[in-house]
Amino acid sequence: MNARPNSVDLSVQLGRLQLPNPILVASGTFGYAREMEHIVDLSRLGGVIPKTITREPRQGNSPWRTVETTGGLLNSIGLDNDGLDAFVEHHLPYLADMPCPLIVSVAGRTHDEFVSMVTILEKFSGIDAIELNVSCPNVSHGIDFASDAEMCGRLISDIRHACSFPILAKLTPNVTNISKIAEAAAAAGADAICVINTLLGMVVNWRMRRPMLGNGMGGLSGPAIKPVALRCVYQVAKAVDIPVVGIGGIASIDDAMEFFVAGATAVQIGTANYYDPTVSVKIVEALPDALQEVGAKKMQEVVGSLRLEGSLGDARDSSATMLADG
Amino acid sequence: MTKSLHAEFHADDATQITAKVLLNEQIARETFRLRIECPKIAHAILPGQFVMIRLSNHDDPLIGRPLALYETVVETKEAGPAIEVVYLVKGKFTSRLAELTQDQFVDVWGPLGNGFLPEPTDHLVMVAGGIGYTPFLALAQEYLNHKQYGKPLRNVSKSQKVTLCYGARSAEYFAGIKAFNHLGVDLHLSTDDGTRGHHGLVTDLLQNVLRETSLPHRIVCCGPEPMMKAVAEIAQEREISCQVSLETPMACGIGICFTCVTKVQEDGGGWDYKRTCVEGPVFDAPQIVW
Ligand SMILES: Cc1cc2nc3c(=O)[nH]c(=O)nc-3n(C[C@H](O)[C@H](O)[C@H](O)COP(=O)(O)OP(=O)(O)OC[C@H]3O[C@@H](n4cnc5c(N)ncnc54)[C@H](O)[C@@H]3O)c2cc1C
Ligand SMILES: Cc1cc2nc3c(=O)[nH]c(=O)nc-3n(C[C@H](O)[C@H](O)[C@H](O)COP(=O)(O)O)c2cc1C
Repeated sequence: MNARPNSVDLSVQLGRLQLPNPILVASGTFGYAREMEHIVDLSRLGGVIPKTITREPRQGNSPWRTVETTGGLLNSIGLDNDGLDAFVEHHLPYLADMPCPLIVSVAGRTHDEFVSMVTILEKFSGIDAIELNVSCPNVSHGIDFASDAEMCGRLISDIRHACSFPILAKLTPNVTNISKIAEAAAAAGADAICVINTLLGMVVNWRMRRPMLGNGMGGLSGPAIKPVALRCVYQVAKAVDIPVVGIGGIASIDDAMEFFVAGATAVQIGTANYYDPTVSVKIVEALPDALQEVGAKKMQEVVGSLRLEGSLGDARDSSATMLADG
Repeated sequence: MTKSLHAEFHADDATQITAKVLLNEQIARETFRLRIECPKIAHAILPGQFVMIRLSNHDDPLIGRPLALYETVVETKEAGPAIEVVYLVKGKFTSRLAELTQDQFVDVWGPLGNGFLPEPTDHLVMVAGGIGYTPFLALAQEYLNHKQYGKPLRNVSKSQKVTLCYGARSAEYFAGIKAFNHLGVDLHLSTDDGTRGHHGLVTDLLQNVLRETSLPHRIVCCGPEPMMKAVAEIAQEREISCQVSLETPMACGIGICFTCVTKVQEDGGGWDYKRTCVEGPVFDAPQIVW
């Protein structure tokens, strides 16, 4: 190695939220962090987003809750969690003390419930930001805030007034026009847009004539969804002026860099934590070299640096050689 | 609805490494023994705990699979401390695993799960259905004081007798029989097709063993769920302490995905879904809502 990694500035800013580096771990894919503390050096992470909490405890969906697909994972966990009160009593003391930023993910069934949850959380210290999970595909009865731009905007606006937390809005790709929803969220005062949550999908066993998941349908994640996620990041980054956080199929430094170039200021690692528990730290460690490879000294220099003139197939200029050497 | 809190468990000794395959040999029909070099895991792991294994640099299958500790192997001239797992070739992962040869690599993380508690008993009765026999060689070694496991090495008071009731589809699926015999385990076999031992259910064997021995017993059990349920019922009728090791499908093995839930009785009545990987895989049988 000829470069000094610490000559590269990895810090990023998501609106009012400052992160030491852009590698976060995604909600629902890192438990409550404590499960991972012996296997992952939490102090190396850009931040942790624990599993989404709801106001009341939820038992979650009946098994099977996940099923593997080609290059992916279909899940219908159903937001199994102990509820807000248990969270603040049982998990928050640990999480607030972690050596990295904490972004608490919340999901309300109604507008008012969302607002009240955030209001309650504001009484506690150690929370660096809130991620609004307006996009979980596994919760019936809940209003799907992220498929209605107006409802989504109103919710974020009210939450913005109700608390002082930086607000990340996590959107679903299961909509016709994700940019519209993102624009509404940005206009309402979100600090950043996180895309994507899982893609609604299904796996069946034809011999049994049954769906594989207890809940019938579920959300698809993992490497299989990366191109869709990348497309969403690209579209949303074009549509809004606030930072975008990329999520979907990221499992290596190359994956992460693709998202940065496409417009993500930070990324979240999800499913890859399951099959490579130390993946997040490996990506953090590989980041300085990757930035230096393209001559960047800080994250801003690569974020959104995708060039559209000509595809790689046409590119014969020297800037393409690094990618074309295979 | 009141709900108890989810486990506070953390996999204290878990590490993740890329491990070299030292041995991958067939030991019975569709059954293989895999030995991988992983010193830290080998030193820390306890009977009833498991590891997650994944083919290195392969994304199909994407997700790792849990496999129970079969045996640890101390350092040899050729390799460092290793663990062994035994697996039945079943689907996507195990059929590819069976193709691995020496000096190839797997990704492994562990030790995971709670394992069997070292509660003393005069007579340890192990009940295994099919590939569910895998956790019991190491456990028998502990209870017969042939070997110690864990870091620090844990002490288990010696049982007067260790029995294995082992049921399989057919004679050719039995694995590890020699090792159990060699240890001095009292072995009772049954097959579904009558090709070896008792022609019938492993629970018949269990009933006989319990009738014939007057020592105080403790039952441990691993196998298909209907069989574990039947064993749990027998234990309950006779008021014998019984632990079952569940084989609930898992995605992460470490408590972060909430896939492997099983219905567990709550103290105040009712039940809640608990993660088998961090609250189990070993449960007191009366806790399980079958
Ligand atoms: C704690 C623990 C210890 C274990 N120890 C051992 C061991 O020592 N030896 C051993 O051989 N196995 C063990 N197993 C089982 C093992 O993890 C694998 O499930 C098994 O080897 C099959 O994997 P596969 O990829 O080959 O099969 P798969 O391709 O996964 O398919 C196997 C079967 O599972 C079904 N299936 C597929 N997806 C799901 C799902 N989401 N939920 C439920 N079922 C599904 C399929 O229909 C098929 O019938 C253990 C499991 C646990 C939880
Ligand atoms: C089993 C599972 C559970 C999840 N639970 C949550 C959750 O509670 N809240 C949430 O916002 N996203 C949840 N997600 C979605 C992830 O955070 C992420 O958005 C998605 O999986 C795409 O990223 P990936 O391909 O890297 O996994 C879950 C995903 C999986 C696979």
